[in-house]
Amino acid sequence: MVDARILLKTLTDIEVKIMLCKSAFEWELLAKKYSDIEEKISAFFKKDKIPQNFELALNNVRVLLVQKKGELPPIDLSDFFK
Amino acid sequence: MGLIRGIADAVIEKAKHEVKDYLIKFMEEEKEKEKNQAGQEAETPIKKSADKLDASPTEQEVDEHIPNNEEDEILPLIEPQFIKLTYKTGQTGFQVPSELIDLTMMLPVVEFSCYIKLLMFCHEQRKNFGYLGNTLKKKLGFDDLDSSDFETAMENLEKYGLLSIDQVSENQRTFIVYLPFDEELYSKVESTGKTKKNSSKNNRKKESKDFKSENKETEHHDAKNSDDDLPGKMMSGMENEDLYKSYRTFVSLEIDKAKMRVGRSNFDKIYMEAVKYIDKKYGFKVLSDSEKFKEYLTNYYISAFDILTFEQWKKNKL
Repeated sequence: MVDARILLKTLTDIEVKIMLCKSAFEWELLAKKYSDIEEKISAFFKKDKIPQNFELALNNVRVLLVQKKGELPPIDLSDFFK
Repeated sequence: MGLIRGIADAVIEKAKHEVKDYLIKFMEEEKEKEKNQAGQEAETPIKKSADKLDASPTEQEVDEHIPNNEEDEILPLIEPQFIKLTYKTGQTGFQVPSELIDLTMMLPVVEFSCYIKLLMFCHEQRKNFGYLGNTLKKKLGFDDLDSSDFETAMENLEKYGLLSIDQVSENQRTFIVYLPFDEELYSKVESTGKTKKNSSKNNRKKESKDFKSENKETEHHDAKNSDDDLPGKMMSGMENEDLYKSYRTFVSLEIDKAKMRVGRSNFDKIYMEAVKYIDKKYGFKVLSDSEKFKEYLTNYYISAFDILTFEQWKKNKL
């Protein structure tokens, strides 16, 4: 049970950091953290269904990350075309 | 380079041992033959001693002849069918198929490094064919190697059956690197056998449909191939590469123009919509993969700003 709380706490931390995020680099770090925690949660509950509060928290963080990515200055594509 | 050198050293060591074993075996067989002959001919003590004396020159002869034979004759390691392939998108690392690992272990150092570098080059340009010449030599990082040595290495690779070289014109030659076909990794562009001309022509339309979803460069290349029936001719492929580069520049400029046209705030909104769309359609992992995200974002901009697709642009240009 303690582990599950830690996982939820990590998600909340990411949520707070998303609000403070100001650069694409920071965003990528947070996206990586989110992917890691998502995997950990899946591994923690294994075959059992992921509890609703966890699913909600994961979805919420994902939406916030997507929103933040859209709010940050658009990615410069000039390097991509070289 | 350190890894390649390490592999090359290992190959030399292995080759040395193999040659040593072969020579010892050969000498033993020769000795046995001589002994048998001597026994059959009811030898005299004088003859025996003469045979013993002769044994050392034969050994020397063997030593001298084997390397010469190796230089003169190179037997193919495989009998491959050379197929022009393009690499499918989404491959991140450079892979050497296990079949090729076994084959390349047999190669001498220069040929080995040439082949491995060719594979890397093919991976980078996402196709297993191209022009053969000084430019390729430079691109492979063989600036210090003599042109004649490089030519020899390439010819030897052809003899080993790992490379197909085609004289397109007086000054131009093309190559196809042998790669074991893997549906997941490669798409066929064209088979090189003359007998397969007709079937490949029929298949081209089908192939071009598949390529649409994979790679615009491949698609363009395929269309060009229908005009070009010479097996192994790469002219169209090379033109495509340049054309595609021009197209990318065109897209880049069009996106910049669109940015100016719609204004900063509207462009930011479009970007926001693009991010949401990519997340919804391709998943969150694409958003955090910088290269993939740029690719999908470009496609989104092409649709959003009504930028000409590669085919449309090509038609207009031609």
